[in-house]
Amino acid sequence: MEALKSIYEVAWFILLVAGGVAALEGYFYTHFKFYSRPWFFPAVLAAFPALALAIFGGLLGGYTFKLWLYFLLAEAAIAAFFRHVVKGRHTVPYLLLAPAFVGLALLLVYPFVFEVYLSFHDLKLTTIMMWKNTGTLPFVGIDQYIKVFTTSPLSEVTFWALLGRTLVWTFSNVFFHVLGGFILALMLNNHIRGKGFYRTLLVIPWAMPQVVAVLAMRGEFHSTNGFVNIVITKLVTAFPFLTSLGVAPVQWLTDYPLLTCTLINIWLGIPFMMVVILGGLQSISSSYYDAADIDGASYFQKLRYITLPLVRPVMMPAVTLGTVWTFNNINVIYLVTGQAGGTEQADILVSALYKAAFTYNRYSYSAAFAIVVFAMLFFFSVFYLKSFDAAKDER
Amino acid sequence: MATVQFKKIVKKFGDNLVLNGVDVDIKDHEFVVIVGPSGCGKTTLLRMLAGLEEISDGEIFIDNLLVNELHPSKREIAMVFQDYALYPHMTVEENMNFALRLRKMPKPEIAARVTEAANILQLNKFLKRMPKQLSGGQRQRVAIGRAIVRKPKVFLFDEPLSNLDAKLREEMRVEIAKLYQRLNATIIYVTHDQVEAMTLAGRIVIMNHGIVQQVGSPIEVYRKPCNLFVAGFIGSPTMNFLAGKLSVAGGVTVFSHESLTLPIPAFVLPQKEAAEGREVVLGIRPDDVLVEHPGGEKCSEKVNGVLEVCELLGHRENLYLKVGAQRLLATVEAFFNRSPGSAVSLCFNYQNMHVFDKASERRISE
Amino acid sequence: MKKKMTAAAKRQLLKSILLHAGLIIFAAACVYPLLRIFSVSLRPGDKLVSLDLSIIPAGATFISYTKLLRDTMFLRWLGNSLLITLATSFIGVSLASTAAYAFSRFRFPGKKVGMILLLSSQMIPAGMLILPLFLMIMKLKLMNTYLGMIIAYSVSSLPFSIWILKGYYDTIPRSLEEAALVDGTSQVGAFWRIILPLSTPALSIAFLFNFTTAWNEYLVARVVLFSAKQYTWTLGLFELQGQYITQWGMFAAGSMLVTIPVLCVFLYSSKWLISGLTLGSVKG
Repeated sequence: MEALKSIYEVAWFILLVAGGVAALEGYFYTHFKFYSRPWFFPAVLAAFPALALAIFGGLLGGYTFKLWLYFLLAEAAIAAFFRHVVKGRHTVPYLLLAPAFVGLALLLVYPFVFEVYLSFHDLKLTTIMMWKNTGTLPFVGIDQYIKVFTTSPLSEVTFWALLGRTLVWTFSNVFFHVLGGFILALMLNNHIRGKGFYRTLLVIPWAMPQVVAVLAMRGEFHSTNGFVNIVITKLVTAFPFLTSLGVAPVQWLTDYPLLTCTLINIWLGIPFMMVVILGGLQSISSSYYDAADIDGASYFQKLRYITLPLVRPVMMPAVTLGTVWTFNNINVIYLVTGQAGGTEQADILVSALYKAAFTYNRYSYSAAFAIVVFAMLFFFSVFYLKSFDAAKDER
Repeated sequence: MATVQFKKIVKKFGDNLVLNGVDVDIKDHEFVVIVGPSGCGKTTLLRMLAGLEEISDGEIFIDNLLVNELHPSKREIAMVFQDYALYPHMTVEENMNFALRLRKMPKPEIAARVTEAANILQLNKFLKRMPKQLSGGQRQRVAIGRAIVRKPKVFLFDEPLSNLDAKLREEMRVEIAKLYQRLNATIIYVTHDQVEAMTLAGRIVIMNHGIVQQVGSPIEVYRKPCNLFVAGFIGSPTMNFLAGKLSVAGGVTVFSHESLTLPIPAFVLPQKEAAEGREVVLGIRPDDVLVEHPGGEKCSEKVNGVLEVCELLGHRENLYLKVGAQRLLATVEAFFNRSPGSAVSLCFNYQNMHVFDKASERRISE
Repeated sequence: MKKKMTAAAKRQLLKSILLHAGLIIFAAACVYPLLRIFSVSLRPGDKLVSLDLSIIPAGATFISYTKLLRDTMFLRWLGNSLLITLATSFIGVSLASTAAYAFSRFRFPGKKVGMILLLSSQMIPAGMLILPLFLMIMKLKLMNTYLGMIIAYSVSSLPFSIWILKGYYDTIPRSLEEAALVDGTSQVGAFWRIILPLSTPALSIAFLFNFTTAWNEYLVARVVLFSAKQYTWTLGLFELQGQYITQWGMFAAGSMLVTIPVLCVFLYSSKWLISGLTLGSVKG
């Protein structure tokens, strides 16, 4: 019976969303179609603020005059915009776009703006009840931003250490992703039997749900029961001379958490690169290689002068995306080290951000932290794109 | 069936002027072919008639009704697209009755119309098939069938045969000609192939650079091209052009070219057009360059030339000749047994000679 | 009869052997963790924590599975996930299909800006928006509900879906819609009757992408849901593998139960997904 109730709840919600979309479309449609009628202004100024108030008032708790005034002013601005600027042009594309972009505005843009707002105020465990009840927060200016650079998000590590760690994490991961993916793609790009079979198996780390894969791999690095240490123990018992070389079971999760996370993430990330690079390799026409064979090129020469340049356009977007995803990868770090009692030695910027918010409840601090990280990424990508364009123009 | 009028049609894409003041009058039950090279604006004109492009300036009338603002489906036209545009997810039958279903026509009437069209185009066996199971020619016929069932006022064809191979093109040309005879409809047909234009049209509209060059029946346009462009566009192989000067001496007009000199009789070029020193272009079709011909009163005097290349086409033969520095193409009966490099004599058939003013490119001969 | 191999053929054979060997090693490295989970899930109750490395353990039994299904709310967690994911995918694909059509077929002011915004939204660190979403959902009193989760998930895959669908729509020739216009539909009618039926491959890819993203999600769920009854399977499974007390057997069993279907779906649709990544080169 509980199952039925849940289904009912969700179905009702979908109907609500459909109704909301229909209402939205109706709103825009009337503004597109009837902007030139004489009764346009009076009608919309009366109807829509009242309707909006009924909806939002009910949702957020009660009618207030201030709310009605805001809606009236907003509607006046919107109606004027439709009357004098839009004038009914491009009706169809805008109507088609409206649901998606309103959704994005509500759930992407507004949270972003809200986060900026948070970063200038002080929301933490002690102030959150006040915020829930009254909706106001103490304003602290750039205090939180200063704290980002000077104090630690968690208990020990500083912003700069985190930044350094994140960069090391990103570059080492991406390097091995590309290297491994490239080698595997080269191996697969031959005429061998069972290519599909190998490809299927090699893609499994990517296809598996990340939660399962990471937690399972974490289990394998367990100091006594994990695969890695069991094998090391067996090797040492079989070849005793190895102990003299310093080979011994390692306390992976406590002593080398970042290394463990890196190894796990490399295992996770190689298949994606492999698939992309394989696609690129397969699109290179074999006539280039034939011509090179006639010219007498060796395998590595062909690799360097034909394969690499021709595969670059396919690889560049994938590497860029991979770098951004790795830089922002909370999942692996958190799943491996995030539970109570877990270590902070492996944290990168974004995982520290998440923990600061949800383990330590320092919400405003986390918001400021997030804005700083985003700004870094933003300027970096603008700079990167500009130099990429410049390089393209040079050619 | 209906009349169609284009009045002073102008079309701009941004700053690009594609059509510059086009006026065409199409009568009821007429088969008009709009022909011209790529980019001349013919497809744009057709699409504006269909309602698929906005009209920058000018008016279009169907049956004396101004249609500028009308939605395509309300203009009572049917269109056959270059890539057939058959709905891939519908059967042939559904493709053909789609428009009728949209208009909520009664089912028996829909079925009757589809059967009628299928009979005309021999599509009965294919009604339940999907477009991807059909060959190019069959798809073309379905596209035509889709247009027929609408019983529109005007049929529009947008280069329907360009995606077919040569043999199929010939077959479909005949099919379309027979269709016209049967339906006696108003058809506006756009193509870049002058052979299609010559064989199918009741009247041809030749366009270049967004301007109508000439309107006339195929014979008119072939025999009396009004300017250099039309002369060079219509007719295969292309007309020979010689650029030179006129001189008048003792009432006789003489055409002087660096490689040859030719008197021009009065019945070819009227006196008033013959001015001393006027720069003209002489046009003569390969069929009218007579090689090793006995001559006659309608022919010019003989000129000497050299045979460069022969192309045997089966029934006819192309001879590439050189007279002085000028190259000429002559088409003669096959098996002209002379080897390349041999000297030949040729003369021109005055009856089909054209003279064009070089500056204005207009025809000044009779 | 002895056939002598040419030098070239010998080289070819050596190359082939090396390739196969290398691929086998790598493939084994990729599959082995999964096989380990499988073997742990089959271990008998008293030997759950053991140093045994064999794939099929001694005394293999399904007891972990039965314990999982009987003693925990695993099925309920799966049901929660399914419900949330289906609703999210449905909403996401619907919104994306119309928006992508607008981007594909029309020219309008703000089109370029819109596309850039969509692209750059992919760059926003996912972790950044979890906090404000969490606070919003808290304020709307939707914590620990399905609706809160669906709201949080519904637009996360929207930019990517719009991108994929737009790429696919671009490959459909416009003459189909023009023919429909001449036949008597409106522009939107042409979209509904002609374009949508033809886009089923791309719509499936978008649906699958939405589905897998929402299905495998952990971080947002961790923040929004706090009672075990409402957990998605990701949270539930995480519960089973604590820092000190790990229910290895049940964790492994649960992992297998979730992973096998996901792998099957992934492999079945993988050829579509790969070509979908090359943006719309698939055409009906």
